[in-house]
Amino acid sequence: MTIFSLVSRLGFTIIFIIFLPLIIERINIIQTDMELIRKREKVIKLIEEKGLEQFMFSDSVSTFGSYNILKNEFINIEKTDIKNTWNFIEVTNRIIEGETIEFRILNYSFRVHDTNYLLEIGKSTESIKATEETTKRVILVFLISFIVITLASDLLYTRHLLYPLRLIIKKLKSASSPELFDREPIGTTTADFVRLDQTLRALMDKISDSFRREKDITVNISHELLTPISIIRSKLENLLLTENPDENVQVKIEESLTTLSRLTTLVNSLLFIARTESSQYLKEDSFAISDLLNEICDEILPVAENKKIQIKRDFSADFIIEGVNRSLLFSMFFNIVNNSVKNTSPGGEIFIKSYTDNNIYKVFISDNGRGMTKEQMETLFSRFHNRQKDNKEGTGIGLAIAKSIADYHNIKIDVTSEPGKGTEFYFSFLKNS
Amino acid sequence: MNILIVEDERALAEEIASFLKKENFLCEIALTGTAASEKIAINLYDFILLDLGLPDYNGFDLLKEAREAGNEAGIIIVTARGAVEDKVKGLDLGADDYLAKPFALIELYSRIQAVARRKFQVNEQVMNLGEFQLLIQSRKILFGEEEVEVTKKEYELLQYLAFNRDKVLTRHQLYEHIWGNVLDDRYDSNFIDVHVKNIRRKLGVYGSTTWLETVRGIGYRISTD
Repeated sequence: MTIFSLVSRLGFTIIFIIFLPLIIERINIIQTDMELIRKREKVIKLIEEKGLEQFMFSDSVSTFGSYNILKNEFINIEKTDIKNTWNFIEVTNRIIEGETIEFRILNYSFRVHDTNYLLEIGKSTESIKATEETTKRVILVFLISFIVITLASDLLYTRHLLYPLRLIIKKLKSASSPELFDREPIGTTTADFVRLDQTLRALMDKISDSFRREKDITVNISHELLTPISIIRSKLENLLLTENPDENVQVKIEESLTTLSRLTTLVNSLLFIARTESSQYLKEDSFAISDLLNEICDEILPVAENKKIQIKRDFSADFIIEGVNRSLLFSMFFNIVNNSVKNTSPGGEIFIKSYTDNNIYKVFISDNGRGMTKEQMETLFSRFHNRQKDNKEGTGIGLAIAKSIADYHNIKIDVTSEPGKGTEFYFSFLKNS
Repeated sequence: MNILIVEDERALAEEIASFLKKENFLCEIALTGTAASEKIAINLYDFILLDLGLPDYNGFDLLKEAREAGNEAGIIIVTARGAVEDKVKGLDLGADDYLAKPFALIELYSRIQAVARRKFQVNEQVMNLGEFQLLIQSRKILFGEEEVEVTKKEYELLQYLAFNRDKVLTRHQLYEHIWGNVLDDRYDSNFIDVHVKNIRRKLGVYGSTTWLETVRGIGYRISTD
């Protein structure tokens, strides 16, 4: 809006400036002509009132001339033989006291006592041009200041006018989920913005309501599922503990228990995700990032070493994170590093680093494992989608959980990967998390 | 020891009872909160296993009742909700431990033992594993006079197997005991296998570890012979 008004105004001004000399010239000529005519009327009136004697003291003198000192104006009356009436304006050169000067001259013939006279009133084009220049300059200055002032006031006014809109945009931006949308009405008297704000709030309420219902259903179903799972589990465990000589039966029971545990993990993950999304976890811990990452490394090290994978760490740029849930962040980083270990071949290397970039705390985790294709990357964090074909065990929900935790803490995860080369994860702890 | 199992799911209650009976517990079952409340008022139990999600009674109220009546029983609360607040609230109200459904029966057993150790026993408990000795209170492994260096997790694993001597523990049961019902993919990897391998390597320097058996297709077991 502001840009449009600026451009339109500039365009208008440029056109105006282009045509300005022409217009001013035209106006000036008209004005000069009118001035000349006015002067003619004045002279004629004087002659009518007081006679020609005023100018011509005797009959013997046939010419009257008057110049001002700078020779930019003159009046000349002389007897003439011209019979027809002259009344026109022309531009000619005159020589006055040896100087050639261009004049715009009004020629007017009139009769007094049967004698024809010619009245010439002139104005030097130079002086006309001079006034033209001044006019031009004045108009230009006026124009520019007009534009600057109106632009500035426009800008201020539209800013003021659109301030509520900016508030609304800010509110929308800062709300990472409908529940977190600021329900406080914005302070504005503009009816349209009040309505927009109200509509948005109503919409957010509606969305969070259906979200909440969905979550409630998830939570309830999960609870209902856990009880039958418990029963089956206890039964199977009791079976496993009976003195059963048949090894095959025992193996089958163990397999059933493993399958059941996968089911449990799925249900718990659903519960977990529903809970993070309705903000049911406290965020009150603060600790040095190196503490957490070292703990994770130590935990994973035995498995990594067993697979001949090196874990390199660089926490020289350490930082303290505040207002987070430590065990959730533990799970998040653990799942990522564990995922890297799983996807890296023996002899590979995993690198973990903490650093600060532009005042933003970051953690970098890379591996030189098998990497991912574009399609795999797209579904990387979607729930239950990222099971790789050769990953027979597990639920493949670890990364979805990591993503939920990251969202819950306002941590941005960026991933780059190349099949056969490896994968890189970047975690950015955005402010107001 | 006698234990009251407060659980509204009959099938689950019976499975728990059947397991604990084999561990020489005297078990009683209360299928409703009201029944449980009456039993607690009349009898003295060493342990109460309390499901918080009862249809007719608030589990927390039952917990308060028991504690206000001066009941000294070890109380382990069980819930399917698994929410952190429940855990905190339960422990504040005097519960001794907390289990989330679904739990392993041997995990329940080991929690009961741990509470019993805390509540009733102060002396160092020593368990013999072949030529090695497990000092339960100070969490150490000795070979003769010498201490064997193991990590915390390795000790935990060994002790859990030792407490459930002669039972086969699945990898999942072991992992769940050591890392809890955590939300990650540990079970995907061979975490337990790696830890057992490391235990065998570290202890193998001193003496034989044949008592730590791999049960093919199932898991691990510590046997007495």
